Order: sequence, then structure tokens, then C-alpha cells
Amino acid sequence: MLKVIIEKEIRDLISSTKFIITFGACALLIMIAFYVGTTRFNLNQAYYEASRAENIRSMEGMTDWNELESNRIFLAPKPLASLVSGVSNDIGRTAVIEGRGNIPIEDSRYNEDPIFAIFRFLDLEFIFKVLLSLFAILLGYDAISGEKERGTLRLAFANALPRQTYILGKLIGTFAALSISVLVAIAAGTLMMPMMGISLSANEWIRLSLIILAGLLYAGVFLTLSVFVSSLTNRSANSFLVLLVIWVFCIHIVPRVSVLMAARSVDVLSVDEIAFQQSGLRAQLLDEFSEGMENFKFTGANDDVDALTNQLNAHMDSLSNTRDSKMQSFSSRLFEERGNGQKTQESLAFALARISPATSLSLATSYLAGTSVGLKNRFYDEAKSYQEQYGSFLKEKTGLNAGGGLRIRTSSACTAAEDKENEEAKKEKPKGIDTKELPEFKYTDVTPAESVQAAVADMGLLLFFNFIFFAGAFVAFGRYDVR
Amino acid sequence: MFITLVQKELRAIILSPKFVGTFAVCSVLIIISIFTGISEYKTMVNRYEANSELVDQELRQSTSWGRMNTKVYRAPDPMQIFVSGLDYDIGRWSSVSGERSAKLKNSAYSDDPIYAIFRFIDFSFIVQFVLTLFAILFTFNAINGEREDGTLKLVFSNSVSRAQYIIAKALGSWLGLVIPICIPILLGLLLILFYNIPLTMDHWFRIGLFLSLSLLLFTCFIILGVFISSLTKSSSVSFLTALVVWVVFIMIVPRAGVMAAGNIVRVPRIAEIEGQISGFSKGRWEQFYQKMEEGWEDKARESSHNDEQSDEMLWAKMETIDSLRREIEKEIDQYGLRLQEDLRQRKSAQEKLAFVLSRFSPASAYQLGAMALAGTDIRVKNRYEDAINEYRNQFYQYVENKQDETGDNGHIMMAITMEEDGPMDMSIKGSRSKDQLDITDVPRFVRPIVSLAETVTPVVVDFGLLILYILLSFTGAFVAFLRYDVR
Repeated sequence: MLKVIIEKEIRDLISSTKFIITFGACALLIMIAFYVGTTRFNLNQAYYEASRAENIRSMEGMTDWNELESNRIFLAPKPLASLVSGVSNDIGRTAVIEGRGNIPIEDSRYNEDPIFAIFRFLDLEFIFKVLLSLFAILLGYDAISGEKERGTLRLAFANALPRQTYILGKLIGTFAALSISVLVAIAAGTLMMPMMGISLSANEWIRLSLIILAGLLYAGVFLTLSVFVSSLTNRSANSFLVLLVIWVFCIHIVPRVSVLMAARSVDVLSVDEIAFQQSGLRAQLLDEFSEGMENFKFTGANDDVDALTNQLNAHMDSLSNTRDSKMQSFSSRLFEERGNGQKTQESLAFALARISPATSLSLATSYLAGTSVGLKNRFYDEAKSYQEQYGSFLKEKTGLNAGGGLRIRTSSACTAAEDKENEEAKKEKPKGIDTKELPEFKYTDVTPAESVQAAVADMGLLLFFNFIFFAGAFVAFGRYDVR
Repeated sequence: MFITLVQKELRAIILSPKFVGTFAVCSVLIIISIFTGISEYKTMVNRYEANSELVDQELRQSTSWGRMNTKVYRAPDPMQIFVSGLDYDIGRWSSVSGERSAKLKNSAYSDDPIYAIFRFIDFSFIVQFVLTLFAILFTFNAINGEREDGTLKLVFSNSVSRAQYIIAKALGSWLGLVIPICIPILLGLLLILFYNIPLTMDHWFRIGLFLSLSLLLFTCFIILGVFISSLTKSSSVSFLTALVVWVVFIMIVPRAGVMAAGNIVRVPRIAEIEGQISGFSKGRWEQFYQKMEEGWEDKARESSHNDEQSDEMLWAKMETIDSLRREIEKEIDQYGLRLQEDLRQRKSAQEKLAFVLSRFSPASAYQLGAMALAGTDIRVKNRYEDAINEYRNQFYQYVENKQDETGDNGHIMMAITMEEDGPMDMSIKGSRSKDQLDITDVPRFVRPIVSLAETVTPVVVDFGLLILYILLSFTGAFVAFLRYDVR
């Protein structure tokens, strides 16, 4: 009997105009999302390569590693990030590495091209969150009350049919119709990726399938919810209105309001406050630095200009080091405080926002795509460890720590201005630095295990919502007046 | 008869069970949005004041005219309570330094990405997503619902012309939806007065325009609903069609338009441009050092013959070097500005195309118009960066004058004494004064002020477009209803 009901439900749905219109719209949009995602990824990849090339080009013609003042590193685009943007367009993607000190990270996509920030991008996560849920509501809102209005509910129960079997069959049938149609559209979309020259690694395939699973679980939540609401009401128009209000709240209101509420209740040290405190210290350190600079005393043989240069550079280097370490220990405390505040704020905001399944979907998919809020800190940490690598590379090349402020270079001409031989030597073209030696920045993404671990809680929550609403529908239908 | 029809329609909407629910939801949301807007604005004002204080403090703490640089923060504006627009996406401040031209950085979203996940909620958002949805919800069955109920036949058994009926229908639905919505809006405005948000006449005028723009969008979707309903026989089909149209207009067309323009008009990335600038500046500085080195060699040869003049010549030499340095800085500046100008032109071509494409949807005409009225639109970035660049010139002109006046140029003086038999010694002197600098007349940044006329001109297009869309849908509804089979 269950099989018959499922079959009937699928047949009913697939042949309805409602299904054809909504499915058509949804499938089209899913494919557009994939198409747009892949072209955007290709475009971003081209931009990324161009920026890197320009960075290397700006170093051409340098003859000494000492001339290198700063190096830029870039956060590479990821194919999954164009399907689930998360915060990847909001955070800075260029880090300026000077060898020590704070690393400024700038050029967020939306700040750079605010035109895209007005309406934001159309990505798979958005389609899932906003449209798939609407689609699910449209399929489910008249599941029970609609049959009642049409009088088919009474007919169905003229057979020897337990209510449980009926509601179970109804849910499985609708869910099957929904997920099969969505999966077809997604399959067509994923096929587009290799066709447009994007190859995903095995790791990314796993993530992508989990993202799709999260999307289906989410659609399931709205489907069971619709059937639940439909079995609470007698008229399908009412159940639709209720569902639409729930939809507006879940998608647009709850997540935003929760974050704002969390922001109000947890105080986080702002970047401006940190800058404020840092600037006080900076002025003081600058004074100390200048004083230290003036205290330089040369001890060494006369005429030994090399020794003088070395001593001076070493002196400046040590001054810079002290200044830097003082600043670092001071700021790291502040940043830690800020980080802790942010963590509390985040967990409160997410705990509140998770009342809405849309939050769980956003969080789970952004964890899986590696575009969650943590991306910013992760990029910063990676930039920091690159900075160390870069610093030690320059130290090896020049004998000095990078970014140490004032430094003297002596050219051979200075030491013996009248030396004819050297004059000629100078005319020889000095060899340029080999930029290939520069350590390369490689952003290591979170491992799939880590991202899955982060996403598991939210996917579990989605599953839990499914069960709750299913149970609700089950119980409500048990008492439903089928006449 | 006309008045009776309008009254009937009004009563039908206000007394319907769905009205209470939706009206309550809309009111709560409108008030929440204005309330969060107010508190967000207040936080931003506090932050802005603290930051300006910091900027002042940094100026006071600087010990030398030569090393002076400063920062400019973007000032909040009360209009962002209604339309936050791009305010959180665009950088909050820019440094004013000799090395590079203005660049706004650290947007609120990049500083605190937690807000970026779900973004903020504001009044324009509620209008776009919630009010339009409810407009459609109330009008999708305006005509065919009556037919299904059999009341349409009854109405036309009286002496009512079709034209009269459709106008009454549209007007009745419009009044029934617009008048109630005005209540929470007025409450929201009271909230603004209650919190003492400083609003000038200019602001009130803009708010008035903004609210009328919002009502136009609302009207547009009301009429669109009536139009769709008079095209179809069954209300379930018109409902689905209306919902699809809503999704397409609100969510798809605006994004698709912008993204298509992004693909058609390519614009280089700022990182690329900065790479070019830094390559150019490195080259120029390298030349500068070389010239300086050569100069010193010549000097060294000359001065070794004449010790007495050497100090004087040293100073003269330093001054020429200094002016050379300024020249190079200007050159690099100009190079950068040229590249940026080019970038801007391409961007504005992209924007034009994007806005033309996305304005096919009334929702984006609304969004663009609302942002322009609130001054949180895309031009805010260029406007601020231009103003900061101008300020930068002023500031440096002033600082350079001060340097010349006081002879304090922030240079570090390094002298190496090498005598034939004496010990070699080296002394370094940084130029810093122990006294505080008098910064009372340092030029201050004045936020760019846009005149009302300048704000309103681009919005005229959006007003016009919305009115056009309304007229089109109304004509559509009118024509469709004249041919409608009322049986």
C-alpha cells in the first residue's frame, strides 16, 4: 500500500503544472548558478594570476634583495567558493608582507567592486536557501488540506489504509519527487564544470556532494514543515500563508536579528580601539627608537667602512627588533582579547540564529566550501607563517631581518671614489635578483575531515528538524479530521 | 457605484483573515528595521567620534613635521537608517600619506565578517522582500478569485462598466494595502524623533522622497498582481505565475544584470594596478638613489679640497635632493592617478551597463534610487576618495610649508667623520623636537557634501521607471480585463 501511495504522489506531483513551473524555474536557476560560478571562478583565477605576475614584475631589475621592501601575497580563488561564496567576497584577499609586524590585509572583493555588493552574487547556496525552500513549501503546503478540499482524502480512506502509512507515503513521495528533480539539475550543473575547464579534486568532490546533501536535508526540513502545517489547517490558503510567514522569518529575519542581538550583548574590542591603543605605544616606541639611534657608537678600525656599515645595520636591526617585539607582545594581547570576544559573540549569534534552518544551511555549506567566518583568520595565520618564512629567507640573503627600517648600503664606488678599477667594475651590469628563489605562498585549505567535522553539527541539526517536523506531521495527521 | 466598489474592495482586504497576520508581520518588521537602523547608526556615530579623536591625538603626538601623516574616516549619515546600501561594504577609512593616493579600506564587513554572513536588515530590504511579497499575496486573485467565487458575474449584473470595475479594483486594493502600511512607517519616524537623530530639512526631504519611492515599488507589485490575475482563469495558476515573477524580479534580474555586465566589461583588479604602481615607484626611487650617489661622489671630490665650505654645500645639496624627492613623489602620484583614472572609466562603463540591465526589474530601480537618495550608493566611494585626495594635497602643501618654515623635515642626519689619523666616528641625529607641534591650523578634512539637486537628479530616472512599470502593468490589467470572460 505504501508503495502505491508513494507512486501516486510522485505521479501526481510530476504531472502538475505547479511542479513543472517551479521545477523549471529551480532547475534553470541551479544551472545558471553553476554556470555563473564556473565563469566567475575562471575570471577570478585570471585576475589572481595577473596580480601575482604584476607583483613579480615589480621586482624585476632589482639587484639586491635589500631593495625588496614588501611582497604581496594573494588568497587564491577556489572553485567551491564560487558556488558557496560565504564571506569570501567580504574579506581582504591581498596581504602585504614586509617581513615583520602586523600584516595589513585589504582589497575585499566587495570593497573593490561595490557594484557586486549591491545585489550580491547568485550562488548555489542562495538558490538552495531561498528558492529550494520556497519550492519545497509549494510542493507541500496543500499535501493534506488540499486533498481534503478536493475530497480525495475521504476517498483514500475509504480503503483499508492506516493513517501512518498514508502520511509516510505522502512525505516519501513528495521528497522523492523534489530530490530527484533537484539532483537532475545539479548533475547537469556539475557536468558543466569539467566542460568549462574546472577540475575538482577528489577532496572537493566529497565536499560538493556533502554541500548538495545539506541542501537536500534543508529542502526536507521545509517539506516536512509544510506537510506538518498543512495537516494542522483545514484550508490550504491558510497553510500557505502561515508557511510564507515562517519562510520570511527563517530566511531573512532570524539570522540577521540574531547576529545583531549577539553584537549588542557581547562587547568585542573593535579594530579601531586596538588601533587607538597601538598608536599610543607607537609614539612612545618611536621616541625610544630615535634615542637608540642617536646612541650609536662605532667601535672598530679606521677606514673599515664595511665594518661601520655592518655595525650600523646590526644596531638598527636590534633596535627594530626590540621595537617590534614590544609592539607585538602588546598587540597580540589585544588581538587575543578581540579574538576571544569574537568567539563568544559568534557562538551566541549562531546559537540564536540556528533556530532557523537557513542558518544551519549557510553555516554547513560555508564550512564545507571553506568560506566560513574562519577564513579571514585562517588567511591571516597563513600569511603570518609565510611572513616568518619570508623573513628568514631575506635574513639568509641579506644577513638582516626584513623590514628593519633604516639601513645603509655602501656601493663599491663610495669606499674608494677615486679608484679607477672600481669605476669600471661599476659599469658592469649588476646581476638581478632571481625572483624564483622567493618562497612561494601556498594557502593550505582546511582538511576535508576538519570541514566535515565543523559542518556535522549543522547537518545533524537539519536532520533533527526533519525528524521533529515529521513527527509533528505524523501526530497532527493522526488527529486530522479527514472529512 | 464607483465609490461602492472601492469601499467593497477595501473592506474585503481589511476584513480578510490573512490581513491581520500579514499586517502584524509587516509592522513588526518595519519597526524592527528602523530600530536596528537607529541603534546601528548610533554605534557608528560613537565609533566615528572616537576615531576622529584618535586622529587628532595622533597629530598631536607627532614630533616632527616631516613624518606627519593622518587618516580620514568616513562619517555616518542618518539616512543609512533606512538604506544601508553599500555602507558596510565600502572601506571605512583611508590613510593620508605621501606614498599613496587615497584608498578606502577596512570595510565593516571585512573587519567583522560575522555580519557579512547574513548582512544587516534595513527598511529598504523589508520593502523589497516583504512588502512586495505581501502585495502579490493580496492581489494575485483580485479578478480570477472573484470569478471563482462567482461574485464577478453578480457584479456585472449591475450597470457597471468594466473600466470602472478594474479601476475601482486597483484603487481599492491600493488603498487597502497602502493606508495600513503607513501606520508602522509613521511609528518608525516617531521612533527616529524619539531617539533624537539629528535630521536637517534636507534629510526630511530625502526621507520623503525615499518613502514615496518605496510606495511606488509597493504599488508596482500591487498592480502587477492585479494584471497577472486578470490574465489567468484560475487563481492557483496566477498565484504560481505571480510568485515566479516575484522571484525573478526581486532576486534574479538584479543579480543577473550586474553579473552579466561584470562578464561583458572586464575591469583589472586593484592588486594588479598597485603592482604596476609599485613597480614604477621602485624604478623611480632606484634612479633617485643612483643620482644621489653620483652627486655625493662629485661632492666628495670637491669638498675634500675645501673643508670650510663643505657644511654649507652639504645643506645646499640636501635641499636639492629634497626637492628632487618631492618631484619624484609627485611623478609617482601622477602615474598612479592616471592608472586609477583609467580604472575608474572602465568601472563606470561596467556600472552603466549593469544598471541598465538590472533596471529591467522594478526592484533594482528601487534599490538604486533608494541608495542614491540615502547617499549610500556606489558613487560614495569615488566621492570620498576624490575628497580625500584633495585633502591630501592641502595637507601636504601645509606640511611642506611648515617644513620649510621650521627647517624640520624629518630627515635623519648621518655624519661620518674620518680624519687622517683620528678615530673614525659616526653620529646619527634624527630631527625631532621635544616640544609639541602646534597643530591648531592643520587643515581638517571636510566630508564631501552632496547637494540635494545632485542627489535627486539620478533618482528621477528610477522614479520615472517605477511609474512607467506601474502604468504598463495597469494598462495591461485594463486591456486584459476588457477581454476577460467574466462567466
